[in-house]
Amino acid sequence: MAIVSNRQRVVITGLGVVSPLGNTLADLNQNAFAGISGIKRIDSPFVDELNCKIAAQAQFNPNEHFTKHTYSMLDRTSQMALHTGIEAIKDAALIIDDNLRPRMGIFLGTGMGGAHSIEEGYVRLYKEGANRLKPFTVLMSMNNAAASAIALECQLTGPNQTFSTACSSSAVAIGEATRLIRHGYVDVMLAGGSESLLTFGTIKAWEALRTLAEEDEEDLSASCKPFSADRTGLVLGEGAAMLVLESYEHATARGAKIYAEVIGYGAANDCNHITQPSVTGQSATIQAALKDSGLAAETIQYINTHGTGTKLNDIIETNAIKNVFGSHAYDLSVSSTKSMHGHLMGAAGALEAIITTMALQNNQLPPTINLKHPDPECDLDYVPNVAKKLANFEYAMSNSFAFGGTGASLILKKLS
Amino acid sequence: MTAQKTSKQIPSLDDVTNALAKMIADKMDMDQTTIKPESELQMLGLDSLDIFDIIFSAEDYFNIKVPNDQVKISTLHDVAVSVHQLILEQNK
Repeated sequence: MAIVSNRQRVVITGLGVVSPLGNTLADLNQNAFAGISGIKRIDSPFVDELNCKIAAQAQFNPNEHFTKHTYSMLDRTSQMALHTGIEAIKDAALIIDDNLRPRMGIFLGTGMGGAHSIEEGYVRLYKEGANRLKPFTVLMSMNNAAASAIALECQLTGPNQTFSTACSSSAVAIGEATRLIRHGYVDVMLAGGSESLLTFGTIKAWEALRTLAEEDEEDLSASCKPFSADRTGLVLGEGAAMLVLESYEHATARGAKIYAEVIGYGAANDCNHITQPSVTGQSATIQAALKDSGLAAETIQYINTHGTGTKLNDIIETNAIKNVFGSHAYDLSVSSTKSMHGHLMGAAGALEAIITTMALQNNQLPPTINLKHPDPECDLDYVPNVAKKLANFEYAMSNSFAFGGTGASLILKKLS
Repeated sequence: MTAQKTSKQIPSLDDVTNALAKMIADKMDMDQTTIKPESELQMLGLDSLDIFDIIFSAEDYFNIKVPNDQVKISTLHDVAVSVHQLILEQNK
């Protein structure tokens, strides 16, 4: 039984992106469906001191978008968030006037907030021996800096909240924003995520967790191999992705273009282990989204998986999909676009929701690249290596699961 | 911050004024020639946090400590006089 009672339908009317696959919707669309990888050797002075020398960096220069006065007060995470937020609002052709302002808010997900600013402060204190920090250190590193920068710039006086549930942060932000619109608290929300944690200290911390992929010696860009038997782990990425969510009523009243409808959102907590996912937890997340949508499981045609490329996640997620969908698991297609754009952590769910939205628009499924050696324990259709057309494509799911246990699934529907 | 201290001599009030003007121009992306001693910092677009940032740079540049109660938004000249006074006091 679906949880429906006088609720507003919620649609996606604007998108904005900064990603390893490009900083425009056109570039992302082109690259994600052409199977292009954004994974490279890290472009940074400290790369030689790393064991893991690869990542999916975004080619984002703040001085192309903001004055020095603006960007020098923002961490890279906030700079990317602010740019994508503005772009999403432009894409939605949304005019934020005094009537809309209190009826529009922002929910943003980030795992580590202003990681660069924190690290810069510590380097100054502990490495360079300084005894004081720059005046903006607190304001640049706090987790809600990115959302607040957008709210301030766009003068959004509705709810402004930041979600930090590691890898599922921005999927949670989108889901919770959807609920806010559904139940009439607001008409429009900016929702998404931003993450830029490719600092020396953070990469070292990830190295210690032993979850990062080994470099593919023949082709660095092919190092992330979700669902492939030769996968060795995840590849860190950075970027931001923002969506304009709007009540169907509000969107149609102003004649907005509609990309898709957010028809379901489910969240559940794993309670299994701080890093290890479980079939039970992931199944509960997916089932919660299905229940929320009121759809039969057989309706789902495609899942953009969490698909990190770690040994464990990919088997657990495969089994969770089989557990929920039964024999339909073999009829639907699933893929991991992280094989191309890496793991954007707090921004991953939002970027993958945008790619899933594009898939619905394109009637095409993005591939899992680098899937050259099938794993007997991963036996679904992962759209290996090449994008696939899908006629009558109407319903898609995007999964995000996180260290700490918070899972979030979103279900998107193409409007006819 | 592009300004560099070139001498260990006690700077004059004019030196301090020029150095602060350069810091402000650099931070605010402004033409330094538009910043006059009588310019109100608020009118130049600086808010209280920007002033903290300029004071931070000045502390580094002149090797002084500016007490909290001396951080005020006023004219460039007023700030320069305060900073110059602190340089004199803290280099005795």
